[in-house]
Amino acid sequence: MSNVKVLLFGAAADRAGTRQTKVPINHVATLGELWSALADQHPRLVPMRETLAFAVNGEYARMEDTVSPGDEVAVLPPVSGG
Amino acid sequence: MFQILEEPIDVKALIADAFHPDCGAVASFIGTTRADESADARVEYLEYEAYRPMADKKLEEIGEEIRERWEVGYVAIVHRTGRVDPGEPSVVIVVAAPRRGPAFEASRYAIERIKKIAPIWKREVWSDGYVWVGSQVGTRVSEKPVT
Repeated sequence: MSNVKVLLFGAAADRAGTRQTKVPINHVATLGELWSALADQHPRLVPMRETLAFAVNGEYARMEDTVSPGDEVAVLPPVSGG
Repeated sequence: MFQILEEPIDVKALIADAFHPDCGAVASFIGTTRADESADARVEYLEYEAYRPMADKKLEEIGEEIRERWEVGYVAIVHRTGRVDPGEPSVVIVVAAPRRGPAFEASRYAIERIKKIAPIWKREVWSDGYVWVGSQVGTRVSEKPVT
């Protein structure tokens, strides 16, 4: 088991009660699998699921994309810059 | 120039940097924080956060998209993070172009793209709690939280 670093922003950090966490994965996982593990850790994120976007290593990613140990995943609520 | 900045934006300097002999037009868009009010409360300030360096990269990408679409001589996008008081600039976009059409269109395009792809969030801090704009998650009493 190795860890993926997960960063949370805005409302997602609020709901999770943390801005950063680690999620253990075996070798390579999909972002969808990582989300399931993260949702188990922080169930208050679950109601936000449909509104969230994700980034892997600083680029937008889809749930079927893969994550590897050492990657940085970001949980991104609807952006509201400007 | 593309920048995420924790300090106040020097708007005059940014605009002055855009003046160039090859360009006959400089258009700017400046987003400023608005103090909304409800019946019993008002916005005291806004607080922005950004996912860096992804947000920096997205501002640069928007600049590249503009150069692919229009003939422009200069593009600057600067976005604030941290506390921004009402009436203060939170984002400044400056585009210089040989002709006015592209300058107007590209500056509009930049703000619309920021609002769509830049990982930047704002929290309205009201006199009775706060709310994350876009998620409607927060602590305001009048708010209907996600449960």
